Amino acid sequence: MTPAIEVESRESTPRWLDYGAPVLTILAALFVAAIPLLWIGANPILVYEQIFLDSLLDLGGIADILTTATPLFLAGLAVYIPLKAGLWNIGAEGQLYVGAIVGTYIGLNYGVPSYVLLVLMMLASGLAAALYGAIPGYLRAEHDVNEIISSLMLTFAATTFTGYLLRGPLQGRGGQTATDRLPDAAELPTVLHPRLHVGVGILAIAAVLGTLLLTRTRLGYEITFIGSNPAAAKQAGISSYKIYILVFLIGGFLAGLAGIIEIAGVHGRLFESFSPGYGFTAVAVALLGRNGVFRVLLAALFFGVLTAGGTTVAITMDVPNALVDVIVALTILFLLTAEFITDYRLAVTFGSKPDSGSEPSVEGSA
Amino acid sequence: MSIIAGTLESTVRLATPLLLAAMGEVIAERSGVLNLGVEGMMLAGALAGFAGAISTGSLWLGFAIGMVAGAALALLHAVLCISLKADQVISGIMLTLLGTGVTTYFGRAWVGRNVDGFDQIPLPLLSDIPVVGQAFFSVTALDYLSLSLVPVIWYLLFRTNVGSEITAVGEDPETADTAGVPVFRIQYACVLLGGALAGGAGAQLSLAFTNFWGVEMTAGRGWIAVALVIFAQWHIWRLLVGAYLFAAIDALSFRSGAVRDAVLSGIDIAAVESAVDFLLNPQVMNTYPYIMTVVVLWYVMRQGNLNELGGPSALVDAYSREQD
Repeated sequence: MTPAIEVESRESTPRWLDYGAPVLTILAALFVAAIPLLWIGANPILVYEQIFLDSLLDLGGIADILTTATPLFLAGLAVYIPLKAGLWNIGAEGQLYVGAIVGTYIGLNYGVPSYVLLVLMMLASGLAAALYGAIPGYLRAEHDVNEIISSLMLTFAATTFTGYLLRGPLQGRGGQTATDRLPDAAELPTVLHPRLHVGVGILAIAAVLGTLLLTRTRLGYEITFIGSNPAAAKQAGISSYKIYILVFLIGGFLAGLAGIIEIAGVHGRLFESFSPGYGFTAVAVALLGRNGVFRVLLAALFFGVLTAGGTTVAITMDVPNALVDVIVALTILFLLTAEFITDYRLAVTFGSKPDSGSEPSVEGSA
Repeated sequence: MSIIAGTLESTVRLATPLLLAAMGEVIAERSGVLNLGVEGMMLAGALAGFAGAISTGSLWLGFAIGMVAGAALALLHAVLCISLKADQVISGIMLTLLGTGVTTYFGRAWVGRNVDGFDQIPLPLLSDIPVVGQAFFSVTALDYLSLSLVPVIWYLLFRTNVGSEITAVGEDPETADTAGVPVFRIQYACVLLGGALAGGAGAQLSLAFTNFWGVEMTAGRGWIAVALVIFAQWHIWRLLVGAYLFAAIDALSFRSGAVRDAVLSGIDIAAVESAVDFLLNPQVMNTYPYIMTVVVLWYVMRQGNLNELGGPSALVDAYSREQD
């Protein structure tokens, strides 16, 4: 009597799994992340309580969550929109840096009234990052160059080049590897709380515009069509060439905006590794929220809570900040597992089944 | 002469981790499984190897523990991608995030400690050859090991039955399966071997190159290894050339000042001088491998598709067996 596991493809995903899977995913990740916490002698319940509850009961905590969720959401959309067209933009991090460089440069060098300067910074950052982001899109559209590798390589080129700029042309007077502080006119004003900048308003704007783009416009329809069925889309006369470049332009623009908002709203100057990997966490954000712009927003808020809370816990409870990376990775891990469960059904049977194989392979259908 | 000799010497030491990790990635990719988690597996290998060497008092045991750590992460990738048919891109990124996070988290206790790393072993006679001798024939055991693995892995992949089976699985798993090739077993073995080599590459960094452990000490070398595979178009000898080329750029960037003076001796034009200063800036030089990879990809893809490039046809597609 050997137990055999049959894997069958589900004909339809049960409704509770569609909504329950993301929640279960997060719970499973938190459960496993308790192991490294126990290892260093920290109480997981207290740590999670501080991350998820304490931060929500305090205006400063909410401000931190919103300001962290802003770049995560924009960068998440920068991954999500190309993903809708079937492409992987793994280079949001690099586009974020390009936007931050260009925006900081303008903020430091143009003495125009504040609101003009801020708009100028946002537009220039977005456009520069859009052009940088469009390189992988163009290479994919024109020569079928794998966009994963090219967008990733361009990310490392951008972050390394930032290191050069901060030791050379853009280095500030203090002698550190950072620019000078932005003038007051180039910093985003704050509302309600000294750490809450007006840039968080873009969470709502981007959510609405993103939803409209993907569900109400012809472009959004073409993006979704190409992503779900490239062959049929081609039959229908939709140019993947145009779409591939456009989704990367849009993605780059959003990521560049994320970069300059983070500089002008939070740090006030550009320095190396100002982004704690927002562009990479964005992949998890896009994935967790893959069923719609609103879900991407929820995912960004979740990772915002995690990142902001993780920083607090690192200081108050001496838990390494890297815990956040571990939880993000575990979330992706369980997301992949959950995806398998929503797509396939496991049927465990006990009985004689000839040669079920010694490897943990999946026998059966797809 | 001393610039050249010194650069060559560090080139060899810097090429070893790239070569080990990239050879592992070639094996995995030739079986059809893309693993973007090389950076994470290298970090795991670097920390586990370092901690293992200090705890056991044996460098070789530490190196082996580093390989096991890399393979352990790779096993996760294999289960997700081969058995659960998860997206290889996402799983690989997860692996890198996990490796970075876990090693940063648990590595705190090992920061600031040192190990007496692998010694240089000068080969008699050969190491006396001027310039080249010191660079190639007086290196650590791990450098010799990585160099001697090149022909071994080339032979394995291109001259043996197992190698043909790996290629068959990467090219057309369905046909391979029909022909009786154990598709899943081969993919598991290739991904695990790739992980072990990446772990070994990381352990080389902490046990033979820096002799200490530092957070994110791989500094993007895992990604360069992934890029190298495409750069080399999935061939082992081109990989050797690529690893040394990329390592030479790295080695030169340590000596950019001396190189600058050598290049500019006799030239006295301000524009040339500032251009050379820019191009030879260490930080600017560090972007070259990434830009080179994109340019090479673009150049090669202009004339054909990925298959003509040498890439396995079934790369990134999870294979699932049809119902009988």
